[in-house]
Amino acid sequence: MQSKHFLKAGILTLILIAGFIIGWELYLRSKGLNIAYDDGGALWADKRAKVYQPSDKATVFIGSSRIKYDLDIPTWRKLTGEDAIQLAMEGNSPLPILDDLAADEKFRGKLVVDVTEGLFFTTNPGNLTDPKKNIGHFKKETPSEKFSFQLNHGLESQFIFLDRDNYSLAAFLDKLQIKNRPGVFAMPLFPLEFGRVTFERQDIMMDKFLTDTNLQNQVTGNWKFFASISKEPPASGQKLDSFLTSVKNDCDKIKARGGEVLFVRTPSSGPYWMGEQKGFPREKYWDRILSFTNCPGVHFKDYPAIDHFVCPEWSHLRPTDAVIFTENFVQILEKDKGWSFSHKDSL
Amino acid sequence: MLFNSYTFIAFFIVMLILHNLPFPWKVKKVNLLIASYIFYAVWNPPFILLLWLSTVVDFFVGRALYTQENKYKRKLLLVLSLIGNLGMLCFFKYGGFLLENFVELMNAVGVNFHPAKPNIILPAGISFYTFTTLCYTIDMYKRKSKPVKSMLDFALFVTFFPHLVAGPIVRPPQLVPQFETPRKANQQQMLQGLFLVSMGLFMKVVLADSMLSSSADSVFGFPGPLKAIDAWLGVLAFSGQIFFDFAGYSVCAIGAAMCLGFVLPQNFRYPYAAIGFSDFWRRWHITLSAWLRDYLYIPLGGNRKGEFRTYVNLMITMLLGGLWHGANWTFVVWGALHGSYLCVERLFRPRKASEEITPAEKTIPLTPAMEPITVVTTSASFAPAFLRSKGMQKFLLALFTFFLVNVTWVFFRSPDFTTAWRLLTSMFTRVPGGAPLLATVDMIKVSVVIVFMVTTHWFMRNTTVLEVAQKAKWWIVGIVWTTMLLLLILSQASSSSFIYFQF
Repeated sequence: MQSKHFLKAGILTLILIAGFIIGWELYLRSKGLNIAYDDGGALWADKRAKVYQPSDKATVFIGSSRIKYDLDIPTWRKLTGEDAIQLAMEGNSPLPILDDLAADEKFRGKLVVDVTEGLFFTTNPGNLTDPKKNIGHFKKETPSEKFSFQLNHGLESQFIFLDRDNYSLAAFLDKLQIKNRPGVFAMPLFPLEFGRVTFERQDIMMDKFLTDTNLQNQVTGNWKFFASISKEPPASGQKLDSFLTSVKNDCDKIKARGGEVLFVRTPSSGPYWMGEQKGFPREKYWDRILSFTNCPGVHFKDYPAIDHFVCPEWSHLRPTDAVIFTENFVQILEKDKGWSFSHKDSL
Repeated sequence: MLFNSYTFIAFFIVMLILHNLPFPWKVKKVNLLIASYIFYAVWNPPFILLLWLSTVVDFFVGRALYTQENKYKRKLLLVLSLIGNLGMLCFFKYGGFLLENFVELMNAVGVNFHPAKPNIILPAGISFYTFTTLCYTIDMYKRKSKPVKSMLDFALFVTFFPHLVAGPIVRPPQLVPQFETPRKANQQQMLQGLFLVSMGLFMKVVLADSMLSSSADSVFGFPGPLKAIDAWLGVLAFSGQIFFDFAGYSVCAIGAAMCLGFVLPQNFRYPYAAIGFSDFWRRWHITLSAWLRDYLYIPLGGNRKGEFRTYVNLMITMLLGGLWHGANWTFVVWGALHGSYLCVERLFRPRKASEEITPAEKTIPLTPAMEPITVVTTSASFAPAFLRSKGMQKFLLALFTFFLVNVTWVFFRSPDFTTAWRLLTSMFTRVPGGAPLLATVDMIKVSVVIVFMVTTHWFMRNTTVLEVAQKAKWWIVGIVWTTMLLLLILSQASSSSFIYFQF
């Protein structure tokens, strides 16, 4: 009798768990959701490990969120025959990653640095924490963690409910949006439809986001919130000079090893673009990056083919525009910047 | 390898299959040993060499200690074993700390000394497996038990993967005899073991990581003063986190061993229902406190050398117990506070025990305080009726003990004394500029989990989960098991390390 007690409990547990998982997964699929991946340290480290490929086989991309939306990786692959290694991180400065690549003697490839001025020139240490955490994860990843990542990848590629940012216990509790006390800072929520992350770390807006202005307004509301809490004025004078010197040093290290560095200013529109022009005038920031580092750059406003986009929430391209942007970006790199993609015809 | 990882799940399934196949017992033990080395090596392969070194040296030294008749040679062998084991521990764990303090001392006396900072990696589990092998060599010196006959059994005793990295700290008589005869789990043990593994993972992943860790990290990482409620909730979050994290590990370890047919000792017994600190140390990290009692407190003299010496021995034991946790003076202060609490408790204890030790307590090794539980009851006539009940008085005393334990956790968790002082002042005084930090949802999470924890501890203080599960209806056990696993699946927390891996 004793031994049957736990057996019956175990069988009941298995049945209930299986029923819940199947039901929950079917429900999420019925809502039109697709597979997405947790964009945490493990996925980032998986991409970071790929940077050592020869420069004619891959290009590395770093930046904040824009390049994650705007670079359509399948289009890049088709047109260049090369891999796109996406190391950019939403809401964060790319400079810790630039430092890391510069310090890594084995990295000698092509690097594209996307500049979102508010984050590139940030003085807020909070915008540097996550990149440093990911770099730490990459450097200290154990064989066990690598194996777990592979197993997790197998499961994540099959189950929609394995979406920590949107369907974990913590995410459900955050969505309750219980009012906070005055003075408490809480990160605003972004709608799930704003971006689904692929295994290559590309962010893609869902169709529902593109047609639902409420969702778009939720995101523009978040941009306004971030602008309102930004107390520090943009870096200038000596502070800006030492900042640019540090960037230059990193670029020089990479170039000295045979690598290439190119800066890109991806599109923004509406009030966001107006605010950026006012807060970070081009001649004081973007132009100075290029002249200080002596690196080439592609600014979206310099090329008619990529200066006309209207971002649904002022800051990131819709998927169809990302394809057009990527096609034109490749052409600009080849025709204007002298880049060649030797495997272009291999596909 | 972490219990809360897909790698472990895959590893464990393979182990269960191999262990239940019809291989000879010796082959199964070899499988377990190789698996244990793999379990350790996937963290950092080169450090397997340290484990081997410790195992081989202590096997032969242990045998020599038992058979050697010459008193002086035996003492020499013991000293060699102590130097070897503790030396290795000191180098890896305290090397940087000792150098840092030496440099500060030199600079304080005017000597300009700035050596390069050593880059010493702390091998996972070194504090635990060092204590495990020390148990053996000291027991051989005292001839408390016979030497382990085979190197295979000894190696398995040291490296058995469920307890290898973070305990429970096992004694040779508790585990070695289990390797001498073939064993595998019957259906009941397998299911109970799986239930315990589920519960351990639930405690660690859902309660410690998902519900509590972010609030604790935010509060302890905040660089300025806080509002009292934020400071208290952060400290309570940590008190819950460290319990669920460490006890969760121990429960997983016991469950995993049970699935293979082995029994590991209990390591936690609802410590936040402790009444007084003697009781606390009978319930918190039981195997460590028993080790400190048997191998430090009693050899120092215990309570056999007069009252003053007893207090000194208590303090030394707790100070070293604190230092065992980490190379930082904050751990020493944590140990000192616990030592002080034990001393004060001993000072004010009634001379005669006024309460019998319960049967459950009779089988549990006593703590360094070596005192049975006594409860000072008051019968003041002005107290309301519910306060005069013995049960309520005990509960209030338990809450008071929990309150004092939380004060000690401030030092345990703080990286330095500045942080500890900042938190204590935020907790107990109204600091100007104290900031509200925690989101309301986090405050609710912490409050609900801590109330649940304290209440559960109180009602479970004299029993065990498996005893309760056996008495409950099977469908209730099923629902509880399902709830734990569902919340575990939904938490989707990344594989974060257990807190005690750093010790």
